[in-house]
Amino acid sequence: MKKKINLWTLLFIGPYFILFIIFFLIPAVFGIAVSFTEWDMYNTPEFIGLSNYNKILFDSSSIYYDQFRIGMGNTILFVLIAVPLCVFVPLLIAVLLNMKPRGHRVFQSVLYMPTLFSISAVMIIWSFLLSLSYGPFKTWFDMSTDLKSTQPWAWICIIGVTIWWCMGANMVIYVAALSGVPQEQLEAATIDGAGAVIRLFKIVIPNIRFQLLFTAITTTVAQFNIYGQPLMLTSGGPNNSTKVLMMYIQENAFGTGISNAGMSSAMAILMGLIIMLVSTVQFAMNRRSER
Amino acid sequence: MKTNSIKNKVLITACFMILLAICIIWIFPMIWALLTAFQSENEIQRMDFHILPVEFTFENYAKLFHNDSSPVLRWFANSLVIALGHMGLVLVIVALAGYGFTRLHFKGRDGLFLILMATMMFPSVMNLIPNFKIVDSFGWTNTYLAVIVPGAAGVTNVFLVRQFMLGIPKDLDEAAYVDGANHWQVFWNIILPNSKPVLMVVALFSFTGAWNDFLWPSIVMRDVDMLPITPGLQLLQGQYMTYPGIAMAGAILAIIPTFVLYLFAQKKFMESMSLGSGIK
Repeated sequence: MKKKINLWTLLFIGPYFILFIIFFLIPAVFGIAVSFTEWDMYNTPEFIGLSNYNKILFDSSSIYYDQFRIGMGNTILFVLIAVPLCVFVPLLIAVLLNMKPRGHRVFQSVLYMPTLFSISAVMIIWSFLLSLSYGPFKTWFDMSTDLKSTQPWAWICIIGVTIWWCMGANMVIYVAALSGVPQEQLEAATIDGAGAVIRLFKIVIPNIRFQLLFTAITTTVAQFNIYGQPLMLTSGGPNNSTKVLMMYIQENAFGTGISNAGMSSAMAILMGLIIMLVSTVQFAMNRRSER
Repeated sequence: MKTNSIKNKVLITACFMILLAICIIWIFPMIWALLTAFQSENEIQRMDFHILPVEFTFENYAKLFHNDSSPVLRWFANSLVIALGHMGLVLVIVALAGYGFTRLHFKGRDGLFLILMATMMFPSVMNLIPNFKIVDSFGWTNTYLAVIVPGAAGVTNVFLVRQFMLGIPKDLDEAAYVDGANHWQVFWNIILPNSKPVLMVVALFSFTGAWNDFLWPSIVMRDVDMLPITPGLQLLQGQYMTYPGIAMAGAILAIIPTFVLYLFAQKKFMESMSLGSGIK
């Protein structure tokens, strides 16, 4: 009897578990291990202790120190600006959609659409649209600066395109959440003389706080991984000012020349630790505000 | 009361106007891309920005399809194989695991599931380099397997399917067990047909996810002929820096499958978004 059950377990859980072990568990351990080594991806990794981390974090003569400082700085700058916008813009639009004006379903379908397009298709379209030669800015606004290669425009372009591209997912979540806000509470507040803004902050937002927290965390994690936008829109320029950490991680491990996968792994681990730290803090802050 | 309803009407109209304006901004790049792909080279290079083509032409598509250094049709086919393959694999594995986590009673089942959930917090960037090495050591680089298989280890789909299968009444399968059915029969005849809604969602998202994946395939597919279209477009961009017509045609081609899917399954896409976040 017992053996039979084990066979069933093997059949149903086994396939997933094999994949999970090979492509999640082993890489997770392996990734941490190689970050303590010098490794070119093909020869045996050579253990060098904390040397990679030391170079990245403290050795200001090392190029990896500069890469990490620039890449992490730009990534954090992007996250700090993009994440609040990727929460509040769709929230605002969801509130408007929830008033159910004529055509709100069509509006919602249109606004959701870009999330389904691949990043490279979106970036090709926008990179031409934002270019001085082929976009509307010269003809319509008589502009003469190239937006993508001038700061702060380069960042504004990247952030704007990011919102255009990925706002829809959060928007749909908020629309669903808003329709679940108890109507009686809103009516009671209206009778008590609460205006639209007060109702939004006192009733609506507390009611959808779980969805707000959920999207804030998922959006933060997603945006830390920013890569395609600067790669295809600005190539990290002007002067590396939009070069993000994922680009350095990719270049060091998989770029042309000899791979420095050990160093690259150390950067990836540091980036992962920062992501985990930030999501934990977000969680904790929410817990505290709940009390 | 009357002033209130007038006020309400004004508010709703204002709402409509704002949303309309936002939608125009949102749809403008798509329309422009679509129409620029039909403008002739001469017309585009005059660089006076306009949206409607003066003369309608297919020359951009013709040039796009006859290009040996960016074989877009090959890329498109690669993407189809990869996205469908990934979708199929995920469906099979996740349906089986969902049954296991809800209907089998083995030791440590729920603890195991909790551990799985905890790994959701683990940032994927930490797995990138070791996963390449593993795929490479299997000899999978430049093969479809490299992009079909590793992504199926993700936890999110297992979570969704398990939650859904928990909601299927236990009486159904218990009646079947009493009648002498074994686990496979219960899975195949009762759980699977009842799980169609959630499996639909998993199918849509694993397809679009694989179709739109950018970084991973660009790492494991070193051979240009093996690239899927999403990372392929990056090469295309480099090659057609000053040919927006052809580049737009490429972008449109890459968008078509997910767009068509969206036309047919719009409601499913929307519902599924709240599925992930709706479970408290």
